[in-house]
Amino acid sequence: MARVHNWQIGREMSYWYPENRPKKQFAAVFDINKCIACQTCTIACKTTWTSGKGQEYMLWNNVESKPYGFYPLAWDVKILDKLGPQSWKGGPYEGRTLFEAADAGERVLGWRPESDDYAYPNVGEDDCAGQIDKGAALSLPHMNWLFYLARICNHCTYPGCLASCPRGSIYKRPDDGIVLVDQGRCRGYQECVRGCPYKKVFFNPMTGTSEKCIACYPKIEQGLQPQCFVNCIGKIRLAGWISKPEEARADNPIDYLVHVRKVALPLFPQFGLEPNVYYIPPVHVPTSFTRQLFGPGVDEAVKTYRNAPNDRDLAGLLCLFGSTEMMLSRWRRQGSVVAGIDERGDAVMQVPLDEPVHVRPAYDRIYQIQRTNCP
Amino acid sequence: MSGFSRTVTGPPKGGHYDLCVARGPACASALALTLIAAPLAACRPAPPPPVNEVVALVAPSLPIDPADAAWQRAPEYLAKLVPQDQVEPRLLTPSTPEVRVKALTSGGEIALRLEWADAAVNDTPGPGAFLDGCAIQIPRTLEAAPPDPQMGQAGRPVDIVFWRADWQASVDGRPDTLTALYPNAAINGYPFEARPLEPGSAAQREAATRYAPAQALGNRRVGPRPQPVEDMVAEGPGTIAAASAAPGGIRSRGKGARTATGWAVVIVRAVPAGLAPDARTAIAFAVWDGAAREAGARKMRTIWVPLAVRG
Ligand code: SF4
Ligand code: SF4
Repeated sequence: MARVHNWQIGREMSYWYPENRPKKQFAAVFDINKCIACQTCTIACKTTWTSGKGQEYMLWNNVESKPYGFYPLAWDVKILDKLGPQSWKGGPYEGRTLFEAADAGERVLGWRPESDDYAYPNVGEDDCAGQIDKGAALSLPHMNWLFYLARICNHCTYPGCLASCPRGSIYKRPDDGIVLVDQGRCRGYQECVRGCPYKKVFFNPMTGTSEKCIACYPKIEQGLQPQCFVNCIGKIRLAGWISKPEEARADNPIDYLVHVRKVALPLFPQFGLEPNVYYIPPVHVPTSFTRQLFGPGVDEAVKTYRNAPNDRDLAGLLCLFGSTEMMLSRWRRQGSVVAGIDERGDAVMQVPLDEPVHVRPAYDRIYQIQRTNCP
Repeated sequence: MSGFSRTVTGPPKGGHYDLCVARGPACASALALTLIAAPLAACRPAPPPPVNEVVALVAPSLPIDPADAAWQRAPEYLAKLVPQDQVEPRLLTPSTPEVRVKALTSGGEIALRLEWADAAVNDTPGPGAFLDGCAIQIPRTLEAAPPDPQMGQAGRPVDIVFWRADWQASVDGRPDTLTALYPNAAINGYPFEARPLEPGSAAQREAATRYAPAQALGNRRVGPRPQPVEDMVAEGPGTIAAASAAPGGIRSRGKGARTATGWAVVIVRAVPAGLAPDARTAIAFAVWDGAAREAGARKMRTIWVPLAVRG
């Protein structure tokens, strides 16, 4: 095992290979507060990439209800249970990562889902954390709650899938950090399925190889965001590039949200994979729950996000989500106009921060009729 | 490295003998008692005594069927299996304890028959489902000391022939369809099987291949195949790769079948370079038990075993 630096846990950790960061790292921010679980992203991915034989059960993108929805069944609680309680007070993570907790003879702490574990995607859908008593939903955070967790492969800096493969069939592209399974080299041992804690590699019984989210790399190579981003109805997603924290640039949208404002957080950073999909945590959920998912920064992130109406820059950048198919390398706000800028420096999208508001009185004087909200 | 070299002592001498002749009158009375149950079994040639190396008997033709009577005259070598515990991921819980090996050679080819106990048939691939299999490994060149028994080493390749139960099921006629793997699957349709693509047309096959990148790259881990075995080459752990197919396709042949207690598999391949009546090479075996979720590095294996030819 090598020693590598993982900024998400604020310390060095053991990993199977030495630190070797790509020139650029593909990353994304998902604003959980805006997801409506329409599953358009799931279908966009499904029709683009996994309509083949043996891929029927695969959802490279899935959206599950938390706390009781899973795909595959119990994916998160199983690995949390295997890892056991760990401590993280706020500075460097004091607990063990999945690489450090690996059993003797293993490369990473993992487990293998069965076929049946994939059979009921999002079992527990829309179940909330408890019985809703009268008035309970009116307080913040909600006493009983649910939220929608949209998930793709995290294209981790230290992928568990890549570390697990004894053949070296999984690789991280040096140009963009996208993690791929070499379909010519894979021999279907399913070690990656076992080793990815997010369960985002899938075994295809008809090709006999493991397959996973490819971050729509043919689109990214053309400067376009992946399918699940551009088809998102809730406009919850923004794809881009993340820097190391010490190289963060405030005009890089992902850097700004992750490093500068710290409003977007990785999913289960304590696992140690340095995942590169970052989530703006749900503001209505008790942070005693979301802290386990997103780490100790969750309370601050919620506070920052809730202040967005008074925060022109943060609110402005959030307006760029879902506004363009182009990958945005930079952004800027001038007054009440926010611009998204591509790799070449061209402003490819401009979005008004303040949209004109028309108030229609409830009573229409001309027609002498009460208006309703029905379309 | 095991101590195998050309000077390894040969097996104890001793040919076949006829059980009926050897036992004389006692055999006759035994026959009378078991006449109805097994009228002829007691008069079959006795199995040759076990040997302490793999001995390939010269035979006019090589049987591909593990149940072929020709195997009865081949001496049996009992190969002890140990867990692969050298490289991660290791197999920490031993499974299959041993494999019984017989060999015949026609001069140009060698046939090896591997038999091991395995209560459950695991021949259906799927998430979390693993496959029964076995492999033989032979050094590419005849050397005084063979390379590392764990898949060879850099510059000193080993040739591997790998048999898998799902390939056997496919060769035995299991259709290459999802419903053959999941009989209760309900499938609405696939985009590449929809109009206007004509069923079986080149355009339709090309469209289907877009959703099967492994197949597009010629990586046939499953699916219809002419043989239940594949030829591989390795130069150390993690390096196994398809052997470059000689003109005419796959060189080795094989056939596996269930026995009362497990699997019996015959693998026929070219005689290893330099193997002759006066020269031994080495051979190693590996067995995967799908029920124990073994695949790849998680396997039971042997050290090198001497492989000799006897005329
Ligand atoms: S999320 Fe899983 S599949 Fe994706 S890179 Fe990380 S470990 Fe690999
Ligand atoms: S398309 Fe967007 S809003 Fe709809 S489920 Fe997916 S992530 Fe949520």
